Amino acid sequence: MVETVKLTIDGHHITVPKGTLVIEAARQVGVMVPHFCYHPKLKPDANCRMCLVEIEKMPKLQTACSTPAAEGMVVRTATTVVNEAHKSVLEFILANHPLDCPVCDQGGRCDLQDFSHEYTPTTSRFIEVKRVFPKEYFSPLIETQMNRCVQCLRCVRYCDEVMDVKALAPSGRGTMTEIKHFTHHELDCEFCGGCVQICPVGAITSRLSMYEFRPWMLKRADTVCTYCGDGCQITIQTKENQLIEVMSAQGAGRNNGDLCARGFFGYHVSTHPDRLQHPLIRRNGELVQATWEDALEWVAETAIRLKLAHGPNAFGGLIGARCTNEDLYLFQKFMRLVVGTNNIDSSARYGQINGVRALRRVQGTSRWTVTFDDIVSAEALLLVGTNVTETNPITGLKVKEAVKKRQATLLTIEALEPAVGTISNIANLAAHHFSVQPDGFKPAVLGLIKAVVEENLVSQPLAQKAPGYVQAVSEAVRRLSWQAIERATGSSSQSFIDATRSFTRTARAVILVGQGVLRAPDGSGLTATLLDLLLLTGHHGLPGCGVAPLAEENNDQGAVEMGAALEYLPGPSDANDQAARARLAQAWKEELPKGPGKSLMEMIEGARTGSLKAMFIVGENPAGSLPPSAGTMEALQSLDLLVCQELFLTETARLAHVVLPACSYAEKDGTFTNTEGHVQSVRHAIELIGESRPDWEILSALSVLMGYPLEYGDAKEIFKEIRSLIPGYGLLGPAPTPPRPDQAVVESYLKTGYSSGLAERYTLGERRAASGERKDFSLTLLVTQTLFHSGKFSTRAKGLLQVQAEGAFSLNPADGTRLGLAEGDRVRVSNDLGEMTTTVKLQDRVPVGLALFPEHFDQEARRLLRVSTDPATQVPYYKSASVKVEKAK
Amino acid sequence: MSVGALTKKILQAMLFHEIWDAMKVTFKHMFHRPITFQYPREQRTIPDTHRGALALLRYDDGRERCVGCDLCEAACPSRCIKVVSAEDPSLPLQRYASEFYIDITKCVFCGYCVEACPVNALAMTKLYEFSTHDKRTLLFDKTRLYQIGERYIEDGKKYLIAHHQEKDDQMSREYRYYFPQSVLKATQAPPKHLS
Ligand code: SF4
Ligand code: SF4
Ligand code: SF4
Ligand code: SF4
Ligand code: SF4
Ligand code: FES
Repeated sequence: MVETVKLTIDGHHITVPKGTLVIEAARQVGVMVPHFCYHPKLKPDANCRMCLVEIEKMPKLQTACSTPAAEGMVVRTATTVVNEAHKSVLEFILANHPLDCPVCDQGGRCDLQDFSHEYTPTTSRFIEVKRVFPKEYFSPLIETQMNRCVQCLRCVRYCDEVMDVKALAPSGRGTMTEIKHFTHHELDCEFCGGCVQICPVGAITSRLSMYEFRPWMLKRADTVCTYCGDGCQITIQTKENQLIEVMSAQGAGRNNGDLCARGFFGYHVSTHPDRLQHPLIRRNGELVQATWEDALEWVAETAIRLKLAHGPNAFGGLIGARCTNEDLYLFQKFMRLVVGTNNIDSSARYGQINGVRALRRVQGTSRWTVTFDDIVSAEALLLVGTNVTETNPITGLKVKEAVKKRQATLLTIEALEPAVGTISNIANLAAHHFSVQPDGFKPAVLGLIKAVVEENLVSQPLAQKAPGYVQAVSEAVRRLSWQAIERATGSSSQSFIDATRSFTRTARAVILVGQGVLRAPDGSGLTATLLDLLLLTGHHGLPGCGVAPLAEENNDQGAVEMGAALEYLPGPSDANDQAARARLAQAWKEELPKGPGKSLMEMIEGARTGSLKAMFIVGENPAGSLPPSAGTMEALQSLDLLVCQELFLTETARLAHVVLPACSYAEKDGTFTNTEGHVQSVRHAIELIGESRPDWEILSALSVLMGYPLEYGDAKEIFKEIRSLIPGYGLLGPAPTPPRPDQAVVESYLKTGYSSGLAERYTLGERRAASGERKDFSLTLLVTQTLFHSGKFSTRAKGLLQVQAEGAFSLNPADGTRLGLAEGDRVRVSNDLGEMTTTVKLQDRVPVGLALFPEHFDQEARRLLRVSTDPATQVPYYKSASVKVEKAK
Repeated sequence: MSVGALTKKILQAMLFHEIWDAMKVTFKHMFHRPITFQYPREQRTIPDTHRGALALLRYDDGRERCVGCDLCEAACPSRCIKVVSAEDPSLPLQRYASEFYIDITKCVFCGYCVEACPVNALAMTKLYEFSTHDKRTLLFDKTRLYQIGERYIEDGKKYLIAHHQEKDDQMSREYRYYFPQSVLKATQAPPKHLS
């Protein structure tokens, strides 16, 4: 039971939990206490004195933002004394304020403006000269006007407390305090836009939309960010159909108002001038503009002809997980019914499938059993293979909050050195950090399990319930020697034991699994092993505990749940689950196609060997993401029909026979399902660009022409159908209700299910690259995601390009010295597959022996990569290669 | 009808009384000062408060007054103003109107825009003759508005004073509030977009 106190604010009686600040209690009864430095996200600082209120029996006025409510308190916020105090605080602020509201981007939505209108007379008593700060160049995306600053330090505190970046600092004293970046060069930070959003006045503004708007011109649309699996709620503000800015209101969505650089500054993709505006048809080898009628009819005719000649299984379908649930659902329905094949795959195949498979296998859920809130209130967090700051920044903020505000114990296993840099580094917050090579995740996880077993930390109830399982796992890890684990991870056995002890001690533990695991060979197996860890420590099944695979793309989770995969039907249910097939067949009034279906890599193989004749590709670019060694280009070229629904003329679209212009997330309605399984509404912010149409509409039109009409009036109708198939899907509430592990599945896993593949899961595996000898200049090249981009899509956002416009080869300075390379040097990187030339960047956070290259600019780097396909889950892996590095001549 | 009244009626009819009665007004006007102006040969003196064509003004040193704040656009009841603002390419952070349009065909000459302007960049002039064969020229753009402003600067200033929006020149120079301009720190390289 939470202790509560009763108090009176301006005559309203209210009961609040103990510890609530007076300002928050007042907000609850609808009394707004004016404030500058207070923000619900930040620790009270009480530096602006704007929130003074009168409290009975207290001698002086008190700051409402730092006084906790107490029993029987009587607070008055509107007495003459209080108003006088507000007036004098404002008078001091205005004495130095430039009053340039007409030219300030905050003008019209500025706290200082509002309070001044409320409390101050129109004339000032000050005749002294106002302070004027010389202007220093600040940064390409964020602009400061320090003359306007009210020195509330919200920006500084946000950057430190919430972001953990610490890029801003106050300098100078008194009225001459100025907010600056720490060093003398321009601001170099995470560009999360948080300081822009949190500044109560116009002292920090976005340069991207500078002077383009006045607040009253803007039209708002609450929608969801399209970049990563965190699914932040954003508000896109537009003026006359132009994208002006993105913001996120405090309290809104799963992100609670926080965003990352991609969300805040990456919105210009939708209106990029290269957007396809008309359908294109290949005539005499050239893609030329065509009408919708011509293009669709040609596609339908050719498809029908090919289907008659080669049968439905000569078709393949691939969809990008950036599409809405409605698009994904209709796509798989189109492939299964109109075309009649199970050859369906989505970009969730690149990794998300691995996580979902493991969850389904061990605990019978397809989603997380935890939410972001459980991450925040977790006592122990284990992050495996995820530089969460860069891939899922908002999940990262939840982890930071848990560690910084709630003293959770953080364990990290990642190819990352705990170094202080311009962006925050999750390893710095870790109590136990294992810096491993990308192939060291498995040994490190096995090290933890070995420690659990050898230190007798195995949960007793489990040992009684499933002695066979515990024994099998114990034997498997006992067979591994500590020396081998130490060699493979570079960490001592003691560190594993310490980490395990602090992990098992806690009552609430969450394991986050990142791309380093999911997008790697046997990602599914390692995720299952992590579930083993949670089972062994006894956390599994407890409230607020679970294994959470992080989705990379915004709708990876939705793609799986909508059944846009050969092995899943909407639900997801297994494609060979007879009951589910029967249910679906009844709803669709049509038998589902039989046969196993082909995955992404199998389809490409099929295209190469000629068994696949036609492909529908929606918003996905295999020719651009898979390395050339996979032969995707040649395979796609040999198809008789390649139809692409795309926003831009991508590498894949260039090979197509017909390119149909699709519209972006900013122009369509629908839903996205984020990584924690929360279904959120996407709403259009601007009108359709050119002749582009939503993907589902294109598919619907095609289905009509192909003689099997799937007609819907709007996206909502499709969603209704989804809901009728998956009861309760996306009850659009403020927070998801996570499923509980299915006890039947867990029991069967503990009984027999664990044994399949146990031997492979519990071996250390071969080292992919020798770490000892590096005389041959060999490094492991790892193609990774960075904070400032998401896939290739965001490389068309002009804002993000100002922060990161090209790829660079990031090395540890020690490797740099060893190879005689300095920052900015041009290097030639090569191996047996090819070579590339790029620029060197020295970064302390890259582990020795590793070189990182951003996947967003990897057109050249991909030449060095080889694809291997996971035999169990068909996940292609192509992220790393062993390379030789020399200075370019 | 009595005999007297009848005789009077007959007499009036014989003497065409109604005509004389009507002509009385005409004859009276022959001795009046003429009221009709011989426009355009003759022109009327126009009061300072007159709401004529809009103009954009410059300060005495030639700088554009307008800071591109869009407030006139917001104030205009007939929505005929469009301001496109941007950062001044020569001064960091300085906002200015890169484009400025007033569709004078829609303007109802209410003067709200002048009142809304925080820097008194807009004023109304005594110019009312802008009829044209080409309707397109009635979309006044920034150049045209500044041309009018240069030509009718005196009108504009008088308008502002007459409407109590500005003091006379001498006083206004002391009284006027300028937004602080950004001063670049000398030790710093100029920002990328200016170099
Ligand atoms: S944009 Fe940069 S300076 Fe501002 S809060 Fe985010 S990380 Fe800090
Ligand atoms: S820049 Fe804004 S948020 Fe930062 S101290 Fe100044 S007024 Fe506060
Ligand atoms: S990219 Fe991810 S973290 Fe960033 S704003 Fe979008 S959804 Fe949020
Ligand atoms: S005078 Fe009135 S109608 Fe004409 S532009 Fe100004 S505000 Fe608009
Ligand atoms: S004329 Fe005045 S009100 Fe209109 S944009 Fe310029 S400064 Fe603002
Ligand atoms: S808001 Fe309370 S002192 Fe600033």
